[in-house]
Amino acid sequence: MNKSARTLLYFLVVLLAVGIAYNFRSHAAKTLSIDFDEDDYLRAGQEFAHLIRTSDWRGFLDTNYRPEHPPLAKIIVGLSILSAPEKPLVPDAATTAEPNRYLPRDLVRPARTLNTIFGTLTVLLLALVNPLAGVFLAFHTFTIKYVSQIMLEAFPALTSFLMALTYLQWKKAKSSRVNAWLMASAVFLGLTAASKYLYGVVAIAILVDWYLDAKEETSTRVFLRNTVLWGLLGVVVFFALNPYLWPDPIGRIRESVFYHAGYAASAAEVEDASFPAWQPFYWLFFSPYWWHEGVFPFPFDLIITLFALVGLKRLWTKERLYVLWLSIAMLFLLVWPTKWPQYILVLTVPLSLAAAEGVLVIWQEVLAWWRTPKFRTIYKRKEKLRALPWLVPGLIAFTLLTLIPLIFQIGMSMTDFNTASLRDGFNGGLSRAILGGMAGEQPPQDFDINARSNRVNFTGLNSYPPVMDFLARSGIIFFNVMWTVLSVLLQCALGLGIALLLWQRGVRLGKFWQALFILPWAVPELIGAQMWLNIFITDWGWLDLAAAKYGAESVFGIISQGLADSPSLWLLAFLVPALWYGFPLMMFAASAGLKLIPQDVFDASAMDGASAWQTFRHVTLPLLMPLLIPALIVRGIFAFNQFYLFQAFFYQDATLATLSYNIFNPNSGFGGVSGGQFAVSAVINVITVIILMVFVLLFNRWTGAGKGVTYA
Amino acid sequence: MRKMSSIRQLGTQLALIAVGFFVILPIWGMVRLAFDGSLRGRPTEFRLFPKVWSLEPFLQVLDRPYQTVDFLTLLKNSLLISFGAALIAMVLGMSLAYAFARFRFPGRQTGLFAILLTAVLPPVAFMTPLYILLGLMQIRTTLLGLVIVYAAFAMPFCIWNMRAAFQSVPREVEEAAFLDGANDLKSFLFITLPLALPSVAIAGLIAFLMAYSEFALGWLFVDKADNVTLAMSIYAIVQTQYSSGAQPWSSLGSLAIIMSIPVVIIFLIFQRTLLDRMMFGSIHE
Repeated sequence: MNKSARTLLYFLVVLLAVGIAYNFRSHAAKTLSIDFDEDDYLRAGQEFAHLIRTSDWRGFLDTNYRPEHPPLAKIIVGLSILSAPEKPLVPDAATTAEPNRYLPRDLVRPARTLNTIFGTLTVLLLALVNPLAGVFLAFHTFTIKYVSQIMLEAFPALTSFLMALTYLQWKKAKSSRVNAWLMASAVFLGLTAASKYLYGVVAIAILVDWYLDAKEETSTRVFLRNTVLWGLLGVVVFFALNPYLWPDPIGRIRESVFYHAGYAASAAEVEDASFPAWQPFYWLFFSPYWWHEGVFPFPFDLIITLFALVGLKRLWTKERLYVLWLSIAMLFLLVWPTKWPQYILVLTVPLSLAAAEGVLVIWQEVLAWWRTPKFRTIYKRKEKLRALPWLVPGLIAFTLLTLIPLIFQIGMSMTDFNTASLRDGFNGGLSRAILGGMAGEQPPQDFDINARSNRVNFTGLNSYPPVMDFLARSGIIFFNVMWTVLSVLLQCALGLGIALLLWQRGVRLGKFWQALFILPWAVPELIGAQMWLNIFITDWGWLDLAAAKYGAESVFGIISQGLADSPSLWLLAFLVPALWYGFPLMMFAASAGLKLIPQDVFDASAMDGASAWQTFRHVTLPLLMPLLIPALIVRGIFAFNQFYLFQAFFYQDATLATLSYNIFNPNSGFGGVSGGQFAVSAVINVITVIILMVFVLLFNRWTGAGKGVTYA
Repeated sequence: MRKMSSIRQLGTQLALIAVGFFVILPIWGMVRLAFDGSLRGRPTEFRLFPKVWSLEPFLQVLDRPYQTVDFLTLLKNSLLISFGAALIAMVLGMSLAYAFARFRFPGRQTGLFAILLTAVLPPVAFMTPLYILLGLMQIRTTLLGLVIVYAAFAMPFCIWNMRAAFQSVPREVEEAAFLDGANDLKSFLFITLPLALPSVAIAGLIAFLMAYSEFALGWLFVDKADNVTLAMSIYAIVQTQYSSGAQPWSSLGSLAIIMSIPVVIIFLIFQRTLLDRMMFGSIHE
């Protein structure tokens, strides 16, 4: 593609992103129902509008309704409703109150419109940086929702992005001098902080990035001077735009900070929501699509997040700051006790950038695969003939036992087969529906998860969207992914740690320990699960019995309480058994790998004066990776398919495998979708097979497993 | 060579002891249950050791662990099903494994991918269609049905591993046999198979263990108490226990121990090979 065509395409995509963004946001602003907090911020805006109308500038010193947030974003709400007719103040209500559905529409409309403009501007800026990322942000439904309502997100989301952009401009100049870009960045820091504190995490990311640069190049003194100047200017702007602080700066800052601490710890709505620690991750996989019918076109968020996971590494090499921003913000949200969905807007900008990189990564992989010259292997006729008698019997058996069931499953997934239509299905209904449907004799019917026809009908691919919708809405895919990542990481850490301990020279009893640590791996998973059930089961497990004996104040009592009450700690009752069961394999893989590393390598690194950590990080770990990665993937597959552990604990919808089993089993049931839904289970299984295909591709790519493929 | 300092040795041993404690803890929980003769239902108080040391739970389990079925029937079913499944998977998969190990033919790559993919599917992915297919054939609730289910589940993994076993036999050995006038079948039967037999047996062993410790598919397919396996009865004890508390938890413990001991011994003996196999041959040196 030549240069001008490229530029044209670039601007077209930017235009497209802005068009989509404005369209979706203004549509959402028109159709979204009034949400929590909107009444509060509208009231705050009304107060400021009144002050401006009456030119009561002194009033700014003492006006800040909902003082936990600084006033600037609320003043902007006030500015947006200046031209609207003045209405009586929205009544003051507790934060626990239901959203006020009767807000004056003449005020809601301009306030929301101004926010959508900020939201669209953010998309425009992002699209100029990376057009594809702009398109992603335009589609991100949580972002659409919260920049289209009277929330405090739209403005600081824009200014925090501007703060990062201007900082990057300054960085590009590669000069340690303070220039206009850096000043602008500091001003945006002030604007951001004066609108909503949360968005200040972007500043932390900037400081980390700055520090990493400074460590390599300039001296610490210059770094300190610049950052202090930047921070001071930011504080000055923050203070200047925050008249509410002027009369009593310390006291009022303290008031708002303590409000947040207290709010997170004790507010009724925070406790009622009882979100687990990982809820921010869950939001990234979820979408408000299911909350508001007809507002959003499609729950894109999940797809964007998945692309972002793929693209993180590439984004890091391109611009480290965005990855720092994403991870620091995520870390903060994980630690922060309040977990409202609007908080994730602090990171949707870098998320979209990572997603755009992810698309490029995948695109390049496909392109590389496409372009690799495909050797037309010349098969010798004689060899083919020789292979034939071996292939035929084996293929027949493999087809009968393995392939036919799987193919039949695909057929079943295109029907509405369930317990009610069992009789019809067994009397020829299944083949009638599947074969007839495939041949086009029956048009595919609509599929409804909850309906049970007593006749098998062909539904074609119509059965997939409702089941996928159900999976995405129930959060099971998110949990399955999180479970896989967490359990494998823990297993890898412990396994690698023990392998390193045992690998030291002169460790006593090494053989004994190794033999002991095999045990969990050797015990069948079912029995291992029972062993842990015997510890964690409520009331008569060891833990609860110990708690009963030693009292609620004892260690046991505290752990038992924690597992029972906390919205996130219960996961430990599964992670601990999974760690127990899985670490031996990782330990063995790591041990096998460590033995293969020649001693000279370590002598060389010792000679160069490397510290223990440096040796591990730059010598041991890279050499271990070829063996660790297959073990990681195998454990990952196990964890992804984890079934017996959850089934033993009666947790019926943890992974796709358990869900599929319990939806299929005519004697059990799950949630709204009770048991005996054969077709639904078949659809889930087909989806599982597709996901595992990706695992196997990765496995083939990163291991020598496929290398025997060319010739034995 | 530098010896470890004693402080480092101490720290290492302490860390290992902590992990050892973690490893032993749940196992000890089962042992404590298994040897407690005083339990009539669920455990009701916290104890590190059995209240009354007794072999009674073991004797009871060896007599009649689950409903009216005696232990020998359960064991017989378990062994029959596991052996049957492993045998079918091995014998029927063997020729395919050999073909993939030795010959080049169109569709080889796709075939290998298909085998690897089917080997990593969860058992549930085979359950749905087999339940219906075997139901159509009216053998769903029989032991033969279970054998087929487990064989279908174990076969891809078996093929993958047997292929590795055949590949590790040097081609030169076979070629020498050809020079002596042997054909493909003869050289396979008399040269390659005997040489690869230990590894092939390991593949079968893994298939055996899969069937031996499976319960969920079993409970879905089987509805007669006579066709229950050991693993299934363990799950059943927990299930009935959870709702009623009719059976002493000691039998859960003793049955679990009886069931695991042979498996643990097998793992201790074959640990290295098993590890390599379970990682689909990627640790192969």
